[in-house]
Amino acid sequence: MTDKTISKTPGLSRRSLLKAGFAAGAVAGTAGAARAAGDPLITEIQDWNRYLGDGVQARPYGVPSEFEAHVVRRDVEWLTASTESSVNFTPLHELDGIITPNGLCFERHHGGIADINPADHRLMINGLVDTPLVFTMEDLKRFPRENRVYFLECAANSGMEWRGSQLNGCQYTHGMVHCVMYTGVPLKLILEEAGLKTNGKWVMPEGADASAMTRSIPIEKALDDCLVAFKMNGEALRPEQGYPLRLVVPGWEGNMWVKWLRRIEVGDEPWHQREETSKYTDLLENGKARRFTWVMDPKSVITSPSPQAPISHGKGPMVISGVAWSGNGRIKRVDVSLDGGRNWKTARLDGPSLSKAMHRFYLDIDWDGSDMLLQSRAMDEHGFFQPTKNELRAARGENSIYHNNGIQTWHVKADGMVENVEVS
Amino acid sequence: MSKFLKALSLGTLIATLPLLAATAHAGDAEKGEKVFKKCTACHAVGEGAKNKVGPELNEVFGRTAGSLEDYKYSKAMIDAGSGGLVWDETTLTTYLTKPKDMVKGTKMAFAGLKKQEDLENVIAYLATFSSAAAPADQQSAAEPAAEETETASADTAVEAPAVPVSETRDGGVFGLGRAATEDEVAAWDIDIRPDGTGLPEGSGTVADGEVLFTENCAVCHGDFGEGVGRWPVLAGGQDTLTEERPEKTIGSYWPYLSTVYDYVRRAMPYGNARSLSDDDVYALTAYLLYLNDLVEDEDFELSKDNFQEIRLPNEENFIADDRAEEPHYAAKAEPCMSDCKDSAVEITMRARILDVTPGSVDDDEASGMGGVD
Repeated sequence: MTDKTISKTPGLSRRSLLKAGFAAGAVAGTAGAARAAGDPLITEIQDWNRYLGDGVQARPYGVPSEFEAHVVRRDVEWLTASTESSVNFTPLHELDGIITPNGLCFERHHGGIADINPADHRLMINGLVDTPLVFTMEDLKRFPRENRVYFLECAANSGMEWRGSQLNGCQYTHGMVHCVMYTGVPLKLILEEAGLKTNGKWVMPEGADASAMTRSIPIEKALDDCLVAFKMNGEALRPEQGYPLRLVVPGWEGNMWVKWLRRIEVGDEPWHQREETSKYTDLLENGKARRFTWVMDPKSVITSPSPQAPISHGKGPMVISGVAWSGNGRIKRVDVSLDGGRNWKTARLDGPSLSKAMHRFYLDIDWDGSDMLLQSRAMDEHGFFQPTKNELRAARGENSIYHNNGIQTWHVKADGMVENVEVS
Repeated sequence: MSKFLKALSLGTLIATLPLLAATAHAGDAEKGEKVFKKCTACHAVGEGAKNKVGPELNEVFGRTAGSLEDYKYSKAMIDAGSGGLVWDETTLTTYLTKPKDMVKGTKMAFAGLKKQEDLENVIAYLATFSSAAAPADQQSAAEPAAEETETASADTAVEAPAVPVSETRDGGVFGLGRAATEDEVAAWDIDIRPDGTGLPEGSGTVADGEVLFTENCAVCHGDFGEGVGRWPVLAGGQDTLTEERPEKTIGSYWPYLSTVYDYVRRAMPYGNARSLSDDDVYALTAYLLYLNDLVEDEDFELSKDNFQEIRLPNEENFIADDRAEEPHYAAKAEPCMSDCKDSAVEITMRARILDVTPGSVDDDEASGMGGVD
């Protein structure tokens, strides 16, 4: 009896299945006695098949298999002066689907990870409100709350690639992005609780960490879809993601998602804080600099194959897999090119398609074993297409640092190795 | 730990044991690890610790001050070592209480630890990385253990904050939260806007600022704001914004002086935020103007009253977000799907040419271009 017939036989009884199992076992037993031919992993009984494994509670908080120990965030030491004001990168090449596991979400801190007991945490609302208020974490959990899946991308993601291909791996070129489900209170409800004055046009969230991070956000965005979140993927925020409280600013640059959120001030003008003047402003070739470039543009990258995830199996059927996202809304389409942008095929989007969330795409191909120049090009629901790197350079020069959403090229060689390249 | 140090420490360990045994219990190394977070911006300790802004602190007990060969100390610290200063529990306690009182001219910007228990705990923590200071729990394990547990549980009882009671109030939609007091708002609302909103009373001169800058800032930013290593450059760079390597400083790039005051007051010195007085911040802001040739007189005094008279040169060069008008976005045209390029595509650049990827062959020396901010 083959697998196929089992699955296709309706009403197959447990008894007949047992019989089938018994018969198969008998065959293996006979063969074993005469030293089996074949894969010893199959023909010989393995330790894990004979001896008991760990019991429940061996790991009260579960961790990945020891064989996944290489799947970790990594940093680039030469980038920054100290690890407390630095960044590391999500291992995109090892992940699938659209949700990033909490322990793999990239980190960006400006004064290290604040260590805060939630009982000691306060959120203050002040400025142009009827009553300046102070909330405890307990208070915040009494407001109506929502669950939303959003990507978070650092504005400097791919910032090291403006002058040309430099880092070999999508973890490094594109890994300042993650996507999780947040649980939190709409910021609108909290602001309304304090009573917004009519001249309140901007809000400024502030962090409780040693950098006391601050950004100005227009009131329209604050009242639209911002959340004051305390959970990610169902559990408490990780310390490095702002435990116990962070702001969620869907689709906008990650720096605005203030972590360890302790205060929101309402004002009639923006504050022009350090992270929206000297940083997170985009210098153009003519010496002018764009400010308040909040929205993250449509972007995509092929995560496998990629330099850290070469092809190990030779020619034949394979899956090209990648992620796409846009701060404008949903991803409508992703095109993939195998020849450096001469010809394109539309990839298959799979999994939930949520506004301002990561999208997963696949292109299933039959690889002939020859060199490929892989590219992906995302389009969002508003018709914005991901530009080429050279189009971006023509419009902005090479010193913008931020908002590099240009099309990435991977050179796949006949031996399956992959390199970060740029093409004509 | 090197074999040499291990061998060395065996001798000193025996000699110093009785002395340390009495005192090493004073601090709690575990709590000290938390206190040490105040130091990690500049100091590393533990396996593989390297010199950062400050020297690494493995085997600091028994070390002569200013004696690490591969670290560049202040002259004052080297002199102190020549004069016989050796780090131990007593000398570290004095030094960390107020570094500049003990070693006048030390590079260490840190102001000192105010709380006695923080001092004891952080020293106990450092002792765990020094063989010359035997860890308390290895000396006489049985006898003081009970005592320690008692103290620990008593401490936890004191420190554990009561879970705040969540009550409702009159007003609002849900009646959640409570009214903030004026003092609470004043304690946290320290932001300054370009129109001067939020500026506190006070003043400071360029000359005062120079002293403060040398003590608190120069260790990372350099004596003239030129930046040490990858730490931010604060001065110079005028007329470089259109060059291949623009230097974005307060003088060349920042649009508003209010941002300088606001940021220094909220986040500097790095690792010891909120330790400067309002007058100190005026003085440092004045000195940063001086370093950028925006004021020339060392007697210049910046105050709440004249703050608004200063304009930074690059203010006019910031523009609104006009990405949507860029040709590749403005068209919103259906992109080409086939035969999109005339000739075969050629590779124009490879990451391998300058491989700065972590884990690549010589990434220790490799240093790439650009940064995250």
